[in-house]
Amino acid sequence: MAEKITAYRFDRLDQTLSQLNKENCSIIAGGTDVMVLHKSRRGVPPKIPNPVIFIDHLSELKRVYQNQKDLHIGACCTYSELLEDPLIPLPLKNAIKTIAAPAIRNRGTLGGNICNASPAGDTLPLLYVYNAKLLLRSVNGDRVVAISDFIQGVRRVGRQHNEILVEIILPSVLEEGSHVVFEKVGNRNADAIAKVGFAGLIRVNDSRVEDVRFAFGAVGPTMVRSVDIEKKLLGKPIPLADSDVAEVVAAFDKIIRPIDDQRSTAIYRKKVALNLLRYFLSSKQYQPN
Amino acid sequence: MIKFTLNGRLVETDAPPTARLLDLIRDEFTLIGTKEGCGEGECGACSVFVNNHLQNSCLIPIGSIDGTDVITIEGIMESEQFKILDESYSSAGGVQCGYCIPGMVMASAALLSKNPHPSEAEIREGISGNLCRCTGYNMIVDAINLAAKKGDGLWQKK
Amino acid sequence: MNLKDISTSVPKKDHSGKVSGQLAYISDVKVENMVYGVLVRSPIAYGKIKSIQLPNFPEGYEAVGAEQIPGPNVVKIIQEDQPIFANEWVNYIGEPILMLVGKELDILYRLLNEVKIEFDELQAIYTLDDAIQQKSAPGVTMASYEFGENLDVISTIEQGAHKIIEEEYSTGYQEHVYLEPQGMLGIYKDDEIVVQGSMQCLYYIKNALISALACGDDEVRVVQSPTGGGFGGKEEFPSMMACHVAVAANAVKKSVMLVFDRSEDMVVTTKRHPAKIKYRTAIDEEGNILSMCVDVFLDGGANAGLSSVVLQRALLNSAGVYKIPHFHAKGYVLKTNTVPNGAFRGFGAPQSFAGIESHIGHISKLSKLDPLDYKRKYLVKQGDPTITKGQFRDPILMEDMIEDLLNASDFKSKKGEFQRFNQQNLRYKKGIGTSLFLHGCGFTGSGERDHIKATVKLVKSRDDKVLLKISNSDMGQGIYTTLSKIVAQALDLPFDRVLYPDPDTKEVPDSGPTVASRTTMIVGKLLERAAKKLKAQWQPGVEQEVVENYVHREMIPWDEKTFTGDAYPAYSWGVNIVEVEVDTLTGNVKLEKVYANYEVGKVIDDRIMKGQIDGGLAQGLAYGYLEKMTSKEGRIQQKSISDYGPPTSMDVVSIESKVFDNPYADGPYGAKGAGELTLIGGAPAVQAAIEDALQTSFQQIPITPEVIIESL
Ligand SMILES: Cc1cc2nc3c(=O)[nH]c(=O)nc-3n(C[C@H](O)[C@H](O)[C@H](O)COP(=O)(O)OP(=O)(O)OC[C@H]3O[C@@H](n4cnc5c(N)ncnc54)[C@H](O)[C@@H]3O)c2cc1C
Ligand code: FES
Ligand code: FES
Repeated sequence: MAEKITAYRFDRLDQTLSQLNKENCSIIAGGTDVMVLHKSRRGVPPKIPNPVIFIDHLSELKRVYQNQKDLHIGACCTYSELLEDPLIPLPLKNAIKTIAAPAIRNRGTLGGNICNASPAGDTLPLLYVYNAKLLLRSVNGDRVVAISDFIQGVRRVGRQHNEILVEIILPSVLEEGSHVVFEKVGNRNADAIAKVGFAGLIRVNDSRVEDVRFAFGAVGPTMVRSVDIEKKLLGKPIPLADSDVAEVVAAFDKIIRPIDDQRSTAIYRKKVALNLLRYFLSSKQYQPN
Repeated sequence: MIKFTLNGRLVETDAPPTARLLDLIRDEFTLIGTKEGCGEGECGACSVFVNNHLQNSCLIPIGSIDGTDVITIEGIMESEQFKILDESYSSAGGVQCGYCIPGMVMASAALLSKNPHPSEAEIREGISGNLCRCTGYNMIVDAINLAAKKGDGLWQKK
Repeated sequence: MNLKDISTSVPKKDHSGKVSGQLAYISDVKVENMVYGVLVRSPIAYGKIKSIQLPNFPEGYEAVGAEQIPGPNVVKIIQEDQPIFANEWVNYIGEPILMLVGKELDILYRLLNEVKIEFDELQAIYTLDDAIQQKSAPGVTMASYEFGENLDVISTIEQGAHKIIEEEYSTGYQEHVYLEPQGMLGIYKDDEIVVQGSMQCLYYIKNALISALACGDDEVRVVQSPTGGGFGGKEEFPSMMACHVAVAANAVKKSVMLVFDRSEDMVVTTKRHPAKIKYRTAIDEEGNILSMCVDVFLDGGANAGLSSVVLQRALLNSAGVYKIPHFHAKGYVLKTNTVPNGAFRGFGAPQSFAGIESHIGHISKLSKLDPLDYKRKYLVKQGDPTITKGQFRDPILMEDMIEDLLNASDFKSKKGEFQRFNQQNLRYKKGIGTSLFLHGCGFTGSGERDHIKATVKLVKSRDDKVLLKISNSDMGQGIYTTLSKIVAQALDLPFDRVLYPDPDTKEVPDSGPTVASRTTMIVGKLLERAAKKLKAQWQPGVEQEVVENYVHREMIPWDEKTFTGDAYPAYSWGVNIVEVEVDTLTGNVKLEKVYANYEVGKVIDDRIMKGQIDGGLAQGLAYGYLEKMTSKEGRIQQKSISDYGPPTSMDVVSIESKVFDNPYADGPYGAKGAGELTLIGGAPAVQAAIEDALQTSFQQIPITPEVIIESL
């Protein structure tokens, strides 16, 4: 017979944290990644290592609020909840709409997308571009890390066993003035895992680039972002000169190293990533007419 | 012991907390209307409502639904809304092999109760997690459209 | 039932149980004393089994393999090359070696991991290209045919030609993704084994079981469960599963259930044959075709299965709907150490039509002629010979259908509109494309007369209800409704007094398999005749029975050796127009509009026909640009639905379709076949539209974004 499985579902976050402090557990939020990753064959429960601890019902993890210009998003907000929340920026909503399909969006959480750390996680390119910070909590207190430091590799994150991701903080996101795009390239129009993801942000002041950021998904073990390359464009006049665009594209050409897999090819991924970058940089939308 | 309501009835089970809701519904409660087409969230044949939200029961560990309200196709079969959907699927010709259909009907009901007057694009999005290999979807889209019209005023009633 | 027009839709017979989900598919069934079966499969592509080491089985668990098969170890189909349980050689990854049976799946899965098999692994053939290279090595060519114009004649023509155009076209796998995975239950009884499950062909299975169990006709019985989609995927494949559960049930004296996981289903079941088609066409200075040679290579996978018959249909359609002067074709089914390929809606024709529509389109463009005008010039007409020296006997409405569709789609002005759009838009490009196609209805050649010999039976009960006793499966295509309707109409009996119980070989004669777009035309006609006979002898309140047997209409006799004669009794026809928008940054293709005209003799039910159109076309379009399956060193790479990518509701658009009447004398109420036809035109039309958008040519399907980006 099946061996005994321990599972916890506490009413409060503090109880959850103290259990996590005692014992290494598998955290389940919406479970849409966990249940697939540890899936058994038909008719048998998944084989999840460690005791499991359910967190998606914890109200402490489901709040969305504004703190000055920063936006705080509870880790266990489901995609559907975020789509209905007026505080969530439109580009993030657009990215969320490309994720899976309604039933998955009713369960999958933003925190899960981050902690799952898949190269194809669809919210990740935007979160990188927003310079998202993550609030992690344990019995020992809180700490805040940049998302780019937290995600370390394919399904590898810098989380201590006793920590829970509590909030995702998008600094200054509620400030006006930036032009942000997200593009997902999948094999079909719903229920598709990204072959390439791209997020770009640009803020123009006085016809010059004041801030610019890009992140690429599904073209490497983690999101590809380079502050050094972004810096090359600061202060450049808009519209950008062809040579400026070419320089940035060439720089990314050097650092994007995708792979072949069952979904696409390395050549395709790279070419499309650079196409989307080039298009973004030459796009008319943010430029003075 | 996990307790929840299933189609309005309080039930309990001592199945392991990581067991899939899908298996529990089908094996322990012998409700066969919830089908398995993929077991990994990609087909929608296993769609149910948890607290009135459309979800894939193949991805739900039962430990996470303690205290919730679960409804399967059997739980809506007697409703006015179901009758409308039933008639609409019939007159629009939305049913072929039928394997996707209970899940489709659940997705249709979920969509209409949130959005009683959906556009074609909204209907397509509403059923986008429900794979149908027989119909090419168009006659299902027609059925939902028809149900929206025929059941006007009914969808947001409890 | 007294419909003025038989096409008027009626409610589907099996609607209620399907909407409510209360109709029990095989995985919903539980019987007493039932255990599960799981299959130990080959992890290697080609080799010899050296040893098998079984784990210690807990009580109630055992292994079943070749030794437990009472009859010969072969799944009886056409050629005897697929063992039920491989016990010496394995020829593909996933080939079944043993079945483990027992009560708990959990324990079975654990035991599965503990079975240790040692192999002598040998050099496998993984790709069609490799197989073409090694085509003359022993065992590689599993079937081949050649026919048409004398090659010396063609060579003389080629010498005098203005130009010889050579093209090599390739098509990929297509996976059925019926929504209900394969499932089969072997029920053990003292005096018989009953096999019940998801299937298209009851008597294929029954014959395979009689052979495997080496038993009498009355010791096995096959019952069809409601079948959640087939598309050919449940044509020959279920015979193997039926042998597995029957042999196991017989061995362990319990009922054995075998249901596949989706990923298992995607990896080990048959698929549409990948093909390579070579064209060599001579043209004169005006671009007229002088001669054409076509070589078709099908990747059969590891066993022959139905591949030879698939190749026949591929060859018979190799000239498309065209009358090509001096046409020659040959074809091969080649063996690779990959999952066996088999029946899939269209059965070899989709590959051929994708190829020929593409090739003719390319020739016209080379000669700077409009593709559609060019194609119309070569369109076959009534009375024309077929490429096998048969004849197109019945009226052909293609010209009207084309004209009508050009108007419906506003084709001419779209062309101009798209050109302007494409000049202005740097990122997105729009295109429009057409396809012309036909489908030969029923079995190829003399199949109906020599192999199938269909029989149907109508039984009238004392309360004056009439039951259809036939072996054909409703797998969603709606024959419970259409065939009942034919009978009700012929008997002038209310629709609900005509019943069509789930077929059971104990109750029904062999009316043939549910394949080849034969059911409505052939079985329907037999039923119509039976019903008329019954009507003539109708006695109220009395039990009555009538039987009808297939009668062959003699035409030009089909000779499989010379590949000449009438390959089909009748043809159904179609025209598709498709509009797409291509994103040149990502290569993604968006369907914008789809128009379709068909001619299927006479529609038996409008709504069901529309269901066939929409569903078939969705599959056909996706075959051209969306669905992608690959194999790497014998291993299927796409193991999940989303990695493979069949269309979702957001990928399909509404389809404007019309069906033309052209009653066929030997079909019930004039009906011909319709089920496969609707798939065939999708891929070539989508290819033409993408080519139009990008002003380029492709030599393959699917035209995925990867292919498009590489071409830009
Ligand atoms: C059919 C299907 C389609 C999908 N399509 C997409 C898609 O289009 N795009 C996309 O990006 N993703 C997709 N996904 C993946 C998945 O739905 C998302 O990644 C989702 O955001 C995961 O959230 P979850 O709450 O379900 O995560 P879970 O499965 O519960 O958790 C994922 C991981 O994060 C950890 N974790 C979760 N929350 C926390 C927390 N608060 N603190 C610490 N650790 C935590 C878990 O331990 C686990 O390791 C798809 C999944 C399925 C099944
Ligand atoms: S079985 Fe749950 S989504 Fe397919
Ligand atoms: S009706 Fe067959 S899958 Fe939808």
